[in-house]
Amino acid sequence: MKKTESPGVKLAKKTLFYVVATLLVMTWLLPLVIGVFTSLKSMDELMADPVMWRPPKVLHWENFVDTWNKAGMGRYIINTFIVTVPSVVGALLVSSLAAFALAFYRFKGSRFILITFVAGMLIPFQMLMIPVFRMSNAIGIDDSWAGVMLFHMAFQLGFCTFFMRNFMKQIPISQIEAPRIDGAGEFTIYSKIILPLSLPSLAALGVLEFTWIWNDLLWSLVLLRTDALKTVTLGLANMQGEFISRYNLTAAGSIIAALAPLAVFLFFQRWFIEGLTMGADKG
Amino acid sequence: MKKILAIAIVVLAAATLFVSCAKKGSNELVIQSYMSDEAPKAAFQVLADQFTKENPKIKVTINTTAHEQYKSQLMNYLTAKEAPDVLTWFAGFRMQQYAMKGLLEPLDKAWDNTQFPAAFKTASSYNGKVYFMPQSWYWWSVYYNKDVFAKLKLATPKTWDDFLAVCAALRKAGIEPIAIGAKDTWTAGGWFDYMDVAVNGGPFHQDLTAGKVAYTDPKVVNTFNYIADLSKKGYFMKNAASYSWQEAATLMFDGKAGMYLMGQFIKDVAPANKKDSIDWFRFPLVGSNTAYGVDTPFDGFMVPAKAKNKENALKFIAFLARKDTQESFNKSLGRLSSNQNVPVPNADAQRGLDMVKGATTAMQFYDRDAPEEMASKGMDAIVEIINTPAKAADILAALDKERVRIYAAVQ
Repeated sequence: MKKTESPGVKLAKKTLFYVVATLLVMTWLLPLVIGVFTSLKSMDELMADPVMWRPPKVLHWENFVDTWNKAGMGRYIINTFIVTVPSVVGALLVSSLAAFALAFYRFKGSRFILITFVAGMLIPFQMLMIPVFRMSNAIGIDDSWAGVMLFHMAFQLGFCTFFMRNFMKQIPISQIEAPRIDGAGEFTIYSKIILPLSLPSLAALGVLEFTWIWNDLLWSLVLLRTDALKTVTLGLANMQGEFISRYNLTAAGSIIAALAPLAVFLFFQRWFIEGLTMGADKG
Repeated sequence: MKKILAIAIVVLAAATLFVSCAKKGSNELVIQSYMSDEAPKAAFQVLADQFTKENPKIKVTINTTAHEQYKSQLMNYLTAKEAPDVLTWFAGFRMQQYAMKGLLEPLDKAWDNTQFPAAFKTASSYNGKVYFMPQSWYWWSVYYNKDVFAKLKLATPKTWDDFLAVCAALRKAGIEPIAIGAKDTWTAGGWFDYMDVAVNGGPFHQDLTAGKVAYTDPKVVNTFNYIADLSKKGYFMKNAASYSWQEAATLMFDGKAGMYLMGQFIKDVAPANKKDSIDWFRFPLVGSNTAYGVDTPFDGFMVPAKAKNKENALKFIAFLARKDTQESFNKSLGRLSSNQNVPVPNADAQRGLDMVKGATTAMQFYDRDAPEEMASKGMDAIVEIINTPAKAADILAALDKERVRIYAAVQ
């Protein structure tokens, strides 16, 4: 039998929990708060006052207008959408097909293929910078969106396939066998049965991938040279000069850039939580 | 579900189509630039617009990449099949290493000896051919807070002993004598250049950056002893390694630090109300030496051997060398023009120019005169010596091993 705690101990535990939780939340929020403060200060105030978490004396909303106009954030954000959306869609499409095969077909080497996908995730991408540039330059897709998309899809494939395959494994095999007996083709089973069942995990994965690809600097940096093609992370990096960094404008730009993934997350939030915990409680 | 699939496929197909349509025209000029600072970027755009006006048939595109990232991507720009036509870069070894590998286009056709001093041609050439078009330059010197010096009744030091006395007086008054933002290790590179030239003279320093002298040579050790001595006396600011150069400059603007060995661009970051209280003096002379050296890095342009529109590139390079274009670019930035026919923009620049004219040695900067890897190891070592002066001998011994390895790979 469980011993019941006295009200005093209960209260102390509760207080401790809230104190620790509040401290943790504050620690996590501090960088964000500093970012917002920095984005609203003038450069002179920033340079004169080393205390970053002091609220701005005068609110300089024009920093946001400045980054938008001078740094050309509008163009960069459109470019990033153009790169991100097809990359996410492509990665999800290809990886769900691969996951379908890995989850439901028994064939020689299926385990090996799965391990290859997982192993691919373990390679640090920085190591591949020069090979990727050489290859894309040789086949003429460097300095183009197609190249960036292709590499995003390729590099995200490992994680996506692994994630989708583990999810699909939980779908009872009878869901496949029944339509097969009824004469459905394999692609029909994939598109009419398995994909709708996987929708929550697809949504969760989509949100994750969207954020990752949106925030990517490495591949855009390696592959894009032309200003008109550059993505938002490169645009933010360009606000650092050779000698002078305009911290306030960079902070304002970062906040603007963070809005898109935030909006996507809020929109898909319901599926996101569902998808991540899917299968955690076996009924 | 079919709908979603159909949409996905359509999106992908549209994207590929869209991308493959974006083919490039023929009469173009593509410039890859690291001028991401607001002021130089705007000044450069003015030049590009003027070039377009003079050559209406050439379509000019400027692509800007942040400075640090530009450096990491330069090799890609130089070796790409469709390389950019004009690249911004630095003179000295930093450029010559690429000329050595045959990655650059000679610019002799655009070079005019009446426009540039002979010393500029040397730093812009490799094996008798010009590969670099200098545009602007700036000087390094010891910047100081005039208000602090006035309050403590300090005169600007001329000799090393004067300098030590000023440091002692500042320390006594509770002010950090020497600001240095060692998080950016290049700030230490300036100390190395100036200290070594002051102690051992210009020719010796040039041999050192060329890899001909060991870092364990007694003369080099002597240079580092001067730096270690400053550190032992506590004249470098505390926690230097946790400040970026810009943050450390703030200490001097606020009067919390007295002096800062820095490039002329430090004026650009001073808040408007502090600009006038910042001035500079020449790095002090050591011992009986009267000859001095200066760090005068110059920036300019080069053309990759694989450039697509070489004719336009050379036209643009000749355009950039002209007196009027250099004047228009540098006047607004307060920098000095490489073209010697351009009048000096202001009194401060005149003083800088006079200092340079009186110098026996002009250096580009440690990380431009020495191979990049060597300079980065060297600058790390200097910062380490500033932090732990007692270990100087060990640090230099380790550094010399790197020298042997790095120069073996370069030659």
